[in-house]
Amino acid sequence: MNTRVSSRLGEWLVLYSLSLFTALLLSTLLVEATGGDWRAVLNALLDGSIRKPGRWGETISTAAPILLVALGTVIATRAGLVNIGQEGQLYIGAAVGTFIGFLVGGPGALNVVLILGCGALGGGIWAGFAAALKYWRGVPEVLSTLLLVSVASHAVAYGFRWDWLLLAPEADRGNRNQVSEQLPLDNRLPRPNIFGNEIPLTVPISVVITLGVTLVLTRTIWGFRLKILGRNKRTAQRVGVAEGKYGATALLLSGAFAGLAGAFMLTGGGYTFGNYQFVPGFAANIGWTGLLVALVANEKPLAAVPVAVLFAGLRTGSGFVSSTGVESRITDVIAGLLVLSLLIPTALMLLRDQRRFRTNMSERV
Amino acid sequence: MSNLDSRDTGIGAPANPPVPAVALNGITKRFGNVVACESVDLELWPGQIHALLGENGAGKSTLMKILFGLVQPERGTIKIDGHRVQILDPAKAALLGIGMVHQHFSLVDALTVWENVTLGETGRLDANATRARIAGIAERYGLEIDPDLRVGELSVGLRQRVEIIKCLRRDPHIIILDEPTAILSPEESEQLFGALRQMIVTENRTVILVSHKLDEVLRASDEITVMRQGKFVDRFTSATADTPTLARAMVGRDVEMPSGGGALRIRIPDKESAKNSDNLTSSSSPTGSVSSENSPVLCIKDALASGTANAPSLNGFSLKLYSHEIVGVAGAEGNGQTALVDLLSSLLTLVSGTVTVNDTVIPTGKAGAMAQAGIHVIPEDRQGSGLVTDMTVAENLMLNNPLGVTKWGVINRKQRSSLAQQIIAKYNIVCSGPNALLWTISGGNQQRVVLARELASQPKILVAAHPLSGLDISAAEYIKNHLIDAASNGAAVLFISSALEEIFDISQRIAVIHSGRIITETPREETNLESLGLLMGGSPT
Amino acid sequence: MSNLLNPIADILTSETTYLNGALFAAFLAFAATGEWVAERAGTINISIEAMLLNGAFAALLGYNYSGSIIIGLITAVLGAMLVAGIQAEMSHRLFADQFVVGLTLNILVLGLSGFLNNQISPRATLAGRWDVPLLSEIPLVGTALFAQRWPFYLLYPLIPFSWWLVHRSRWGLEARSVGENPHAADLTGINVNKRRRQSIYYAGFTCGLGGAFILFAHVGRFENTIIGGRGFIALAAVIFGGWTLRGSILGCTIFAAALSFRLSIQGLGYNLNSELLQSLPFLLTIVVMAVFAKRVRAPAGLARPFIRHTK
Repeated sequence: MNTRVSSRLGEWLVLYSLSLFTALLLSTLLVEATGGDWRAVLNALLDGSIRKPGRWGETISTAAPILLVALGTVIATRAGLVNIGQEGQLYIGAAVGTFIGFLVGGPGALNVVLILGCGALGGGIWAGFAAALKYWRGVPEVLSTLLLVSVASHAVAYGFRWDWLLLAPEADRGNRNQVSEQLPLDNRLPRPNIFGNEIPLTVPISVVITLGVTLVLTRTIWGFRLKILGRNKRTAQRVGVAEGKYGATALLLSGAFAGLAGAFMLTGGGYTFGNYQFVPGFAANIGWTGLLVALVANEKPLAAVPVAVLFAGLRTGSGFVSSTGVESRITDVIAGLLVLSLLIPTALMLLRDQRRFRTNMSERV
Repeated sequence: MSNLDSRDTGIGAPANPPVPAVALNGITKRFGNVVACESVDLELWPGQIHALLGENGAGKSTLMKILFGLVQPERGTIKIDGHRVQILDPAKAALLGIGMVHQHFSLVDALTVWENVTLGETGRLDANATRARIAGIAERYGLEIDPDLRVGELSVGLRQRVEIIKCLRRDPHIIILDEPTAILSPEESEQLFGALRQMIVTENRTVILVSHKLDEVLRASDEITVMRQGKFVDRFTSATADTPTLARAMVGRDVEMPSGGGALRIRIPDKESAKNSDNLTSSSSPTGSVSSENSPVLCIKDALASGTANAPSLNGFSLKLYSHEIVGVAGAEGNGQTALVDLLSSLLTLVSGTVTVNDTVIPTGKAGAMAQAGIHVIPEDRQGSGLVTDMTVAENLMLNNPLGVTKWGVINRKQRSSLAQQIIAKYNIVCSGPNALLWTISGGNQQRVVLARELASQPKILVAAHPLSGLDISAAEYIKNHLIDAASNGAAVLFISSALEEIFDISQRIAVIHSGRIITETPREETNLESLGLLMGGSPT
Repeated sequence: MSNLLNPIADILTSETTYLNGALFAAFLAFAATGEWVAERAGTINISIEAMLLNGAFAALLGYNYSGSIIIGLITAVLGAMLVAGIQAEMSHRLFADQFVVGLTLNILVLGLSGFLNNQISPRATLAGRWDVPLLSEIPLVGTALFAQRWPFYLLYPLIPFSWWLVHRSRWGLEARSVGENPHAADLTGINVNKRRRQSIYYAGFTCGLGGAFILFAHVGRFENTIIGGRGFIALAAVIFGGWTLRGSILGCTIFAAALSFRLSIQGLGYNLNSELLQSLPFLLTIVVMAVFAKRVRAPAGLARPFIRHTK
């Protein structure tokens, strides 16, 4: 058995290295073909994500909301659900957090907690629409979550038209329009400075949440039942895992995590995300990125951590790329190619496993 | 093992050419370690309806799938009209003039009749030509149908008619019908056989009829080959054979004596033997009436469930189950067994009727309600509702009751692992350890995982649906012993199977299910294989 | 009352409303037609957005290097079919999850087109306008339907051809059968995954035309946001239309009307809840799905990968 496990691991490594290499090679070729210098791009990426002062702090603080979104996605995927609306759930979460935060305007820390809670609530409600549509009306969650992303952006745009909703009062806006008020200083999460890097509190919280999610999914009955539901609905129904109850909870949680990520960006994101102001386009593709991270991490919360940092690094590095004369969007291309290339080994292994599985079955014919 | 002795029967008919239309030679096919076909020889002659008779799992369907290119044999040769061929897929089979009417239809509900009929052909799509062809076939064989109806709206009988027309459209000279009457009414069957007769008499085609219904085989076919456990058993000419002979050949000679509980292999648990744990192999004592004096553990009353057009669901199904007994539910496939198991697995919601366990009404279709009430199920399709194949053996052993190894909702892995280890040892589950993924172990061992899990918590009620199918003899024996053990320990066991031999082997009471209801219920002592076989096949006792 | 009626009357009598509506609807219809074919064969193509964008960008490149709109049209189709190829091969040969592949492609193409566009700054143009004699003089809708730039007219043969392809050709029959019941189709001797791949390629073809259309007949220059999520509206239109071509085109028209209405109402200086109008395609689709999800039947095999011998 051991040799089998290790040969499997070996195959896995070879396949992954090959695919990753291909993805990076393609990216390199693309840069070279359009007149760029790939070494310069690589240097810029490293500078922007790690090497320059304060950058690795920036990278891991960007990774925090991405990781949260990914964790939520992992929970939904565990239950066999395809939530692809995190971008909208995150946006709504941040919007609800902003709205309630300014509505209540309570004292410092308490208000931060309220904003975070409302962020999670907002994201949860947005995913809740999809859950309700699925379990009451049979609407596939893939489609409803996707469509709700666009609805979210229009709903927020509506919110920005009224100062009783999101829009900052005239006096606070200067010339700019369509922004919310800035969170007062005591309504922000602290960003302690460690070795010249600002690490917002969102980072340790995200790490704790990751460990929590890992434990809940792998060690508790709830996680176990969720997995049964995701892998085999009929068995789940027989052993007492009600699809509606567990599935809806997973979808709500998944949305809540995205919403919380939005609230994180608001209260602890600093300059990277709107500078404590809620602005149009605030979600900034963090939802989509988190979704991709979860897909690459293949349902494993702990694996999502390095992947989230990697994708965050591509993001923070991209700002430095433009200085080399290469369009910074190359990082999006690299991210996309990476994901595609990482899908291939998983798909190949799955295909082989299924084949082996079939020959293993004493099929009834 | 091989039986080529019947070659002369074909040659005996003067109209036949000297070469058989189909000659299968030494066909062997295994699935894992289960032998589906072992050196099977079969010859089929034009102008004849040849019946392939056998119980479920006898290998007849596999043999036909091999001939139709759906399954590849490990050994053996196939000759069509004397030429050796290799049939890699259904398309090749069609080229060779082989058509198959599938037991589970290959029709697309959303398409119309004519679209279904022409599906799979090549060339320009011509609705009118297809309609004309359908009309032609309809007229020739009396299989009338409106080509513009949607298949999803048709009755089962009409759907099969479409399936047959679809098979005939390519003008095959070899036609395989896999259990064609399993879901047909007697009239519909009659019509079907009329059409088949026409095909062979006027057009000299070869027809293979796969069936386990003795009556219809005798009535409709010219020759009969009997298979059992993947092997050729015997060959008969329909004109001279009779039902009892065929039944004996089909179910095996070792239980051929009239059953009155006296057969040596039959072991029946009862309260007395339960006290004596080593008594499993002792012969039975009459028990049929003892248990019925107590109140039933499980009572299903007037269960009505809406089914699809394909599978008759439950239709006034009633059954009582007492502790310390094994009740066998016999019946041809597709008469409501699946719905019954689904019902007891909380997978089916009743339209009307009740399920009561110890006088408590259990809500139907509510997740886990049946399991909560103490109904343990060994489902027919273990990967469907019994197991989660990409979880570990340990996880699968705890699917329904993870609470034993948890504290405040957290699973204690060490405890789970050691508990699993114990169960693995006790039930001889061959695997690399509790953390082996389920798909890495063999089908027989997967079955043991289900069995171990369902038995581990001393079930009050145990439902076993076709638990022996697909297993080799020793594995089957093993599971039988455990079922008997469970009954001895006080469980009420519901044993569902379409193999009469199995049912006779371990049940005390036998109920025959037909069209979604129990049509007879007798103590085993008061019936015998032949009469039950006839009942199952829908013919009067 | 007149407060409300005036703007509506203004809008309904403005040719611009119809012109914009026709442009929006045509763009959606190009995409929806292909998506409809793919969905009938069992795939939900989230990558439709990527196909359209890559189509538009490839059209841009083709025109930039050749100076010919015809060449641009051809490269557009090739570009979109390249995306379709990745989607098709990955989801129906390797059996990677079709949504995952689709999403990744959307992000990849968004990045790639943005990157290349800035790196090489290609130029585009608008195609010439063809006025159909007489028909284009019909009041209000004449200009909208019959006085457009020529790529617009590709839609007129495309829709009936697609209908014929799916409902009257053998290929279409087989594609529908693999979308409805892949196991039965397989038993009948049809290569299920091949048909599914081909149907995705067809979606790539129509999206390529759609991408070329928006570049050459509508916008005239390339921006990264040229599609801007409208691929999803086309996808919604197919669902809205209950997986019929007629319904899908109707969906495109209604959604386009909403979008055009929003533009016009702002153009005429009225203030109205334009966010609601913008969300309308999505909200309507969700409502329609919620009301009809159990009655309108999606192709039974939709979004279920087919691997032989598994259920």
